[in-house]
Amino acid sequence: MIVERVVRGLDERLDGGSFLRRNLTKVFPDHWSFMLGEIALYAFALLVLTGIFLTFFFQASPEPVVYDGPYAPMRGRTVSAAYDSVLRLSFEVRAGLVMRQTHHWAALLFMAAVVAHLLRVFFTGAFRKPRELTWVLGVLLLFAGIGAGFTGYSLPDDLLSGTGLRIIYSGVLSIPVVGAWAAFLFFGGEFPAHALLSRLYVLHVLLIPLVIAGLIGAHLALVWRQTHTQFPGPGRTEDTVTGIPVWPRFALKALGLMFVTWGVAAGLGGLVQINPVWLYGPFVPYSAPSPAQPDFYAGWLEGLLRLWPNWEFHLFGRTIGTLFLPAVVVPGVITFVLALWPWIEERVSGDHAAHHFAQRPREAPVRSGIGAAGVAFFTVLMLAGSNDVLAAFLSVEVDTLNGVLTAAVVVLPIACGLVTYRICRDLRDGGGHPIARPGRARVRRTAAGAFEVEHEPGGPAR
Amino acid sequence: MSERAVAVAFVVSILAALGLTAVYAAGGDPQVEGALLLLALGGLGVGLLGWAGGLLAHLGEHTEPRRRHPAADGDGDVAVATFEAGVAEVGRRRLLARLLAGAVAALGLAAVFPIRSLGSAPGSQLARTSWRRGVRLVTADGTPVQLGALELNTFTTVFPEDDVGSADAQAVLIRVDPTSLQLPPDRLAAAPQGHVAYSKLCTHAGCPLGLYLAATQELRCPCHQSTFDVLRGARPVYGPAPKPLPQLPLEVGPDGTLRAAGDFTEPVGPSWWDLPR
Amino acid sequence: MSAPRRPREARLLARLVRGGLLLALLGQLAWSFRPSSSQALTADESLGRELYLASCSTCHGIDGAGTELGPSLRGAGPAAVHFVLSTGRMPLANPGDQPVRQAPAFSEREIAALVAYVRRLAPGGPEIPTIDPATGDLARGAQLYLDSCAACHGAGASGDSIGGGRIAPALDRATPLEIAEAVRIGPGTMPAFGERGLSPADLDAILAYLLWLRENGSRGGLQLGRVGAVAEGLVAIVVGLGLIVLVIRLTGARA
Repeated sequence: MIVERVVRGLDERLDGGSFLRRNLTKVFPDHWSFMLGEIALYAFALLVLTGIFLTFFFQASPEPVVYDGPYAPMRGRTVSAAYDSVLRLSFEVRAGLVMRQTHHWAALLFMAAVVAHLLRVFFTGAFRKPRELTWVLGVLLLFAGIGAGFTGYSLPDDLLSGTGLRIIYSGVLSIPVVGAWAAFLFFGGEFPAHALLSRLYVLHVLLIPLVIAGLIGAHLALVWRQTHTQFPGPGRTEDTVTGIPVWPRFALKALGLMFVTWGVAAGLGGLVQINPVWLYGPFVPYSAPSPAQPDFYAGWLEGLLRLWPNWEFHLFGRTIGTLFLPAVVVPGVITFVLALWPWIEERVSGDHAAHHFAQRPREAPVRSGIGAAGVAFFTVLMLAGSNDVLAAFLSVEVDTLNGVLTAAVVVLPIACGLVTYRICRDLRDGGGHPIARPGRARVRRTAAGAFEVEHEPGGPAR
Repeated sequence: MSERAVAVAFVVSILAALGLTAVYAAGGDPQVEGALLLLALGGLGVGLLGWAGGLLAHLGEHTEPRRRHPAADGDGDVAVATFEAGVAEVGRRRLLARLLAGAVAALGLAAVFPIRSLGSAPGSQLARTSWRRGVRLVTADGTPVQLGALELNTFTTVFPEDDVGSADAQAVLIRVDPTSLQLPPDRLAAAPQGHVAYSKLCTHAGCPLGLYLAATQELRCPCHQSTFDVLRGARPVYGPAPKPLPQLPLEVGPDGTLRAAGDFTEPVGPSWWDLPR
Repeated sequence: MSAPRRPREARLLARLVRGGLLLALLGQLAWSFRPSSSQALTADESLGRELYLASCSTCHGIDGAGTELGPSLRGAGPAAVHFVLSTGRMPLANPGDQPVRQAPAFSEREIAALVAYVRRLAPGGPEIPTIDPATGDLARGAQLYLDSCAACHGAGASGDSIGGGRIAPALDRATPLEIAEAVRIGPGTMPAFGERGLSPADLDAILAYLLWLRENGSRGGLQLGRVGAVAEGLVAIVVGLGLIVLVIRLTGARA
């Protein structure tokens, strides 16, 4: 049989037999929340597959061409070759639009799964020693994903993405001392420079995917080598791992999850329109569309820009750009705190021991409180980044909404943090379930006509 | 999931995949393709998940020991000792070691320079635009703007005649009631008959200011909602922008067209380090 | 998009005051117009006058010169009168309310009568534009729309908040004539675009594009209100990720 021959061949040359023997029976703990990271992995695989298809049609060129394709409102208009190729891909290439939209939906799914996975790992303390490095790789993946998304979103050279690039340019420009040089070197000159599109393209299809693939590889290798965390349960110990073996159950499950992820992305790709660049029109430097939002994973950055006060500082007679604090310093600090969190927690809690059990959020009330505060903070910022759409949707004044959100971005994280801390602490100390079963009483009338009351005390929900 | 449910999932997947080829051959339709892909891939996935979760549930869970992470077995100490012995061996030839370090540093320095090729030097480009005295104002399609052609309380985007579509020279021209303008005398003179022009780049993040609120005579940025008061020198009245929009001084040419009387009063767009205060 | 509601008492009071004011005005009117009430008004104009006195004069004045409650109608023009009446923005329930689109209070004939009467009462202002969207150049319309309109009304004509308590409305319900009138008169905080800046052919082109957009531009599937990334992100997280997690949980993975 072919499998037998391959394995024997590998065994004779590389001692591959023992590797396979060990790893086919390797067990992985089984919990639905452990699959969020896998979703991100499969979304990335789909991004590579659909992305390769797209590269066969996309032209990363700002050269002007006259569009003469089937999309009537753009016919006869001078647009960049990049924009022209995206319209052709969307309207003329068979299955092109499904591929393009699936690619974009898969990118959103990738980021959504990464964020959900990060939250799961955070709230269960799965980043603790010895898995700090895995956490750091994950945080780097998050930011590499934002970079991949942003460069990709900018490629069609439409009005919306051009507006986004303009803001990034201004952010780089705001860095003290080196800002102008950094912006000119990265963008190839004063915005909008001719060289930019091909640079973004190389970043998007080569450099960043390589970085992401490398990070994913290292991340998975660490998970494989260190074994996965598990929740405590009957028969489970810190020294053992209980779960389903790689072959066949885990493999079938993983494969199934991959196809479900692909199915959902492709289903959205065909059924729900995303980034209709034909509506936005080609980029011109003197127009901006509205509503103008980045994809959701950059929504918090957009929110920071919208809520930040109109401060401008001066130093040595020079100017510190308005965008420097909200677009560079604050995101930078957030990145560092997030990446270094395992060591921060270790230092503060004094817990230097290795852990293999995942915690329930209540077991670490302080961490859970901080996590809830963080979730509230990013949620408010994302709402602020969508304030115009939100205001129109709710029929309130956007300026009023901004006032509310400015207060909320300070107050809500503190409130959520404190409430979560209290709930977790009480749950941990009381050992109860948040939903309690009420007590009951049964009243019975005896044959003699008297009443007997039988109490059944309340308790944790079953 | 039962065996039957898994079978149904696989059959759905097969039918959808066959349907997909038929749709593709027939010319394709994004929505039908999406729905069929959802069924084909989703059916396969659901079937596999159901198989592993339901039909193989009897295999149960296994337990195996975790790999230990012992730091006390001394391997690390031996490694450190080996490394340090090597360093000592190499470091004995002090001159050579220093030269080696110097060579690596010099090469590193040389390797940094190609980065300089990535873009032009900022120089003074950021501080000025292509507006000069006497350049006519034209709209996006190149039409010169005649004095009085613009209706009261309306606006249009203008460019230097020789730089149409320019990213940094773009300006908004608004015609307002001249008596309502509250500007210092020299800047008032640069707004003939209520034609006042400001840079179209927001001083916050550099988005083009596309919104003119006629009722309050304000310019608003669609990106982050900075709002500028047109009548009072485009000073910011709301939002994150810190500075007024630079004004473009105007004059009327002998042919009755509006012309620039010079460059903007200040560098356009967001603030940066070299901006003198 | 309804205007913010006021307390019930305030509305009641406003209604009482308005009713009283109206009665007083009507009384005075009846008196002052005793001898020669209709100076050769056409039948249309007479109907318009009747409606005007009943529904408009409280705020805009009997002579159309405006009062503390509402602006003068001089220079407003037939386009503006037709626009506010046919989109139900006028008459307002309360003088302080934001005019928003709703079912018109008058029939087409009544609106025409009011337009005719106000034309006589307060002459001047833009006439109702003559439009022919069918002859509009689609490509030019798209370009003009993106350059001049999309910053407020959205690239997909979905509408958006524009600050100062204003919302640039979605353009999917207004008739072409209403849109054309709005372009020419600049209702609310919208700037007016006169014929010098935007020729009738340009206007027809924009209308052609907007009409085309209602039926087209959705090759990609569901449009999510054409509001872009906000809705897309929500769908990705709730529908996309939600659906996958749901499938995992339903297919027998242990909880």
